[in-house]
Amino acid sequence: MSPDILEEAMEVWFGPQHVSAHGWATKLTLVGDYVVECDPNAGYFHRSAEKVLEFKNFRQGSLVLERMCMLEAFLAEYPYIAAVEKISEVEVPERAKVMRTIMMELSRLHSIQFWWGQFNAELGFFTMALWPWVDREYTLDAFEELTGSRHTVSYSTPGGVKYDFSDKFMKQLNRAVERFEDRLPKFRDMQMGSPTFRARTENIGLYDVKQGLKWGLSGPPIKACGVPMDLRKDDPDSNLAYDMVDWEVPITENPEHPSQSDALDRMEQRFKEAEVAVEIIKQLIPQIPEGDIIDPKARAKTNRLPEGEAYGRVEGTRGITSLWLKTQDKAQTAYRAKIRGPCIASYYALKDLVPGSKFADFIVIFGSLDPYPGWWDR
Amino acid sequence: MSDSSTINASTFGRLVINKIPEVSSKPLDGNKIELVVPASRIRDVVTIIDEEINDALPESVFGVDLENDNYELIYIFWSHNNRLLVQLRVSLQGENPEIESTCDIFPGLEWHEREVREMFGVNITNHPDPRLLLLPDELEGVYPLRKRFQTDQSRLEETGISTPKPRATSGGEDK
Repeated sequence: MSPDILEEAMEVWFGPQHVSAHGWATKLTLVGDYVVECDPNAGYFHRSAEKVLEFKNFRQGSLVLERMCMLEAFLAEYPYIAAVEKISEVEVPERAKVMRTIMMELSRLHSIQFWWGQFNAELGFFTMALWPWVDREYTLDAFEELTGSRHTVSYSTPGGVKYDFSDKFMKQLNRAVERFEDRLPKFRDMQMGSPTFRARTENIGLYDVKQGLKWGLSGPPIKACGVPMDLRKDDPDSNLAYDMVDWEVPITENPEHPSQSDALDRMEQRFKEAEVAVEIIKQLIPQIPEGDIIDPKARAKTNRLPEGEAYGRVEGTRGITSLWLKTQDKAQTAYRAKIRGPCIASYYALKDLVPGSKFADFIVIFGSLDPYPGWWDR
Repeated sequence: MSDSSTINASTFGRLVINKIPEVSSKPLDGNKIELVVPASRIRDVVTIIDEEINDALPESVFGVDLENDNYELIYIFWSHNNRLLVQLRVSLQGENPEIESTCDIFPGLEWHEREVREMFGVNITNHPDPRLLLLPDELEGVYPLRKRFQTDQSRLEETGISTPKPRATSGGEDK
């Protein structure tokens, strides 16, 4: 880049006050309408969760985790619980495994419904912003009926789950899933059939899968390149029930740019993710076994943990979500807990992905990666 | 992306040890392996991961404070094709521990290394962008995830957790 061009450059801060910047700030250097440099800044949403976990006991810790991403709270809290279960060797009843999996997939559905609305609102496509949010209300009603809370649900706990499914909840769960399944084809037509939306997203934010993996991307941004990378199949957790379901990892392959993905592919991928989440829930509902929802000895076993290290991982809505836990002998709290959120990679990727594109495309690229600041700031 | 020959954890461990005899390995559950790597050879091991595993995903790098100026860095890599998890463990000693940056090999590690520096005071040499990642400027050089960092414990009783053992008093800047 010649220095003459940079003389005309203008620096623009996108966030932290901007409405589309949900607690993050990116410094963009513009020449005319084009971005020549992108400097994503983290830290505006930092709540020192890893230090807080060193002062919370093993049943309180998951409450900190779900605050990392409230949109997928059932999924976000799980890596901590998985790590505690591995170290304490608590048994999880079969019934709890199935119930957990159902709620985690419903949480994934909720997160995608929210993202559709948010992404379309950022693009100025307000019709498709509000329709998924109507269906999201039904999902939230089910959360509220089960846990008493719409976002910070704290449902799973080491050794099982906290609340049993009631008849009223089952009605609401079925209603949320059936309503969404009924409307999904209409949404898909409305979204993918919109020429304006296609023009805004086609060939925008294009990257190769090899490059994506180097940045550390996982989940839908990689699956949209045609690679079925999914921890639910690759590294299944023994305390979840994905093996009871017959399903395939959804991928999106675009013949125009094989093993690459653009913003449109990533939208298509989210439709498939939602379809699969609904499919898993529908298959699991008739399979819920009878029995306890929590190991009666769980509380005694998790008061103090033996010395150990464990790595709890789950395929979150946005990719690999994990927590690395180290405990000392007879410990009441974690010695060290490292939270690894998927979005730290997607936010970092903007640094290489955005330069060269138009300023107006910045939010398309950013939004299509489904970022959530809690996952990089923690 | 599709590579017909997959590599399992123990084969990969032997491969690394054959090239770098200072490395030792420890199997973990499933197709997972831990390699204990001397700090001076970290770049060589990360380069082998990059060359031998064609879809290696850098999951994270983070520090652990073992107190009395002993630190550990853990690097985690995941491969979807091989369903393989590689965990590297590096021990560091001293008041100002140091390790070379690996983010030119895996750009995704750049922010993780910045975080290790600001939280644990591990100096990452040759890092392209050693600014603070999450902390505000006034916490530069305080290293809050070190165990000797004094947190406000005035409300600790409310959590129901018994008072922790007294902390190490020697060395470091107590704040």
